[in-house]
Amino acid sequence: MGRGKVIDDAVMNFAVTGKDHHFLVDADLEDEFSDSFRCSVCLDLLYKPIVLCCGHISCFWCVHRSMNGLGESTCPICRHPYNHFPTICQMLHFLLFKLYPIAYTRREEQTLEEEMETGFFSPQFCYKECNSDLQHHHPMDGKHALDSCFLRNGEFCASTQQIESVKSVSMIQVPTVSIPNKVCDENCCMIKPDSVEENNLPEDKSNRNCKQVSIADVQCNTCKQLLFHPVVLNCGHVYCETCIGPVNEMLTCQVCQSLHPGGLPKVCLEFDHFLEEYFPTEYAMRIEAVQAKQVSVKFQHPITCSTKACEKSFQSSFVTTSENLSWRADPHSKVHPRVGCDSCGVYPIVGDRYKCKDCVEEVGFDLCGECYNTCSKRPGRFSQQHTSEHKFELVKSNIIHDIMLRLVTGQLDSAGDDASGISENESPAPILSSDAQDSSSNNLASAVTHPDSAEDENETQTTR
Amino acid sequence: MNSQGGISKAGGGGSSATATSSWVSPTSVSTSGKRIQREMTELNMDPPPDCSAGPKGDNLYHWISTVIGPPGTPYQGGIFFLDLMFPSDYPFKPPTFILQVVFKTRIYHCNVDSAGNLSLDILKDSWSPALTITKVLLAIRSIFTHPDPYNPLVPSIAHLYLADRAKHDELAAEWTLRFAK
Repeated sequence: MGRGKVIDDAVMNFAVTGKDHHFLVDADLEDEFSDSFRCSVCLDLLYKPIVLCCGHISCFWCVHRSMNGLGESTCPICRHPYNHFPTICQMLHFLLFKLYPIAYTRREEQTLEEEMETGFFSPQFCYKECNSDLQHHHPMDGKHALDSCFLRNGEFCASTQQIESVKSVSMIQVPTVSIPNKVCDENCCMIKPDSVEENNLPEDKSNRNCKQVSIADVQCNTCKQLLFHPVVLNCGHVYCETCIGPVNEMLTCQVCQSLHPGGLPKVCLEFDHFLEEYFPTEYAMRIEAVQAKQVSVKFQHPITCSTKACEKSFQSSFVTTSENLSWRADPHSKVHPRVGCDSCGVYPIVGDRYKCKDCVEEVGFDLCGECYNTCSKRPGRFSQQHTSEHKFELVKSNIIHDIMLRLVTGQLDSAGDDASGISENESPAPILSSDAQDSSSNNLASAVTHPDSAEDENETQTTR
Repeated sequence: MNSQGGISKAGGGGSSATATSSWVSPTSVSTSGKRIQREMTELNMDPPPDCSAGPKGDNLYHWISTVIGPPGTPYQGGIFFLDLMFPSDYPFKPPTFILQVVFKTRIYHCNVDSAGNLSLDILKDSWSPALTITKVLLAIRSIFTHPDPYNPLVPSIAHLYLADRAKHDELAAEWTLRFAK
């Protein structure tokens, strides 16, 4: 297994001027990270890792941006099709922070800066609580851990103007969010300054690896032992491959009770290799134990990438890539382009879409019909400050929007065909995205100028 | 979670990358910029055989690449210059390749038209964000050894390639000698 290379300052500084320098400054002091924890999309250390059902890991934003807002998405690495945007795997998130505190902190800073530029924020986790309580209740009572760790930083988004006016991260003071502060970069980046001592964070670079990873950090949620062949469900919770076992119905997470769409997930091999390397003796014992068990109970459903179980569920409408284009031609299609469900993560939503009327964040909060009917209480996929008091409205696929979209996608198809035929210094993609934006804003404008028709389209739902 | 605005915005990565401008200003180090820098570092440390690539001037989003015709092909010994354009939402959109006429470099190849455009599936529908320039250069190198006459840009060359391989190779070698050496 190779090692991630330390960034070559001289090369990295190429074409970098002024304000962009700071994140490169201490690049050569950074921990080297294993190639297995390198995101294949951004080529950097994973940040807020998401494990897809095929077992491949990417960063939160890398997965989100790789997804196809118009239909089925495919894994960047193996092209395995999927429809649901998974939740961040918190176990890996905290593990990576423990393993590579400096590199992970740098990633957090970078990501936060990007998020401030775009105005879209990923979910924030409170390190203080999770670090101190991880060994006590995280494996035993993951639900509690999840709820308490899930810091809703709505005020973060609400004060966008304030954020935009401030250039540097270190100048922003938002007490509820642990914003990395370059001044105290070495010792308290991810943790509020007052919690430094109790968390025993590395004080300087010489003992920065003092936070050792223990087995308690990488336990299965079912058997409470070291993970063996870890699989990560759509909700981000991790189990041994053998602990989820063969199921006939949809897989349900034992921690958060959410359903796992798309059949049995595949083993996360990178995580598995890490466990094997990091805990050789314990891992060997686990192998023996599992083998002994398998002699008595024959393991009938090996989980492979080609597991077809997923075809039973949702996917019927998007079986193949070519078929997922069919909705464009169908005027009665109920796809909501580029809108995902904040509960199950299905992206895009097909069928009924319930939009929260009270969430102020730009990302918005939406539910698919199924999650709306099952009264999902899960927090948003981003940083929405959604509460159960919020009201929903039913949004139907807008016919004008559909026509506009078909015009845009028609351009997409022709642009795709002619992609190689463009010899000017102009790429089709950005033009297209501007068109897409125009069409959506036109659509918004039409909704505003015709409130009557909008009312016809939207049935207001009562409080739930 | 509605990212209608988010896609293009997030894809642009930087405040300077507006949806209407195709190219991000060279000084903006956004998501795409960081990724391109990383690729550059790796390409310099471990370059693929017979290939080289690097930014043209100080614009990180415009690279120049050379591919040397692999031995055993009619393109042997030829030096082919390519222009690489990175979109502002790279790697979520593939880079566009323009085989430019540099020093009157032209190539007799059924997958490259007279304007230098290249037909390569991974640069279109089969693009994946996990692909890198290194992998793309290797793919380009492989169409030198294995042209794809069934998806041609220049049907006449593809036809000749299938009908009279020797004649095709002769012409290709002649063009290589004339334009690429």
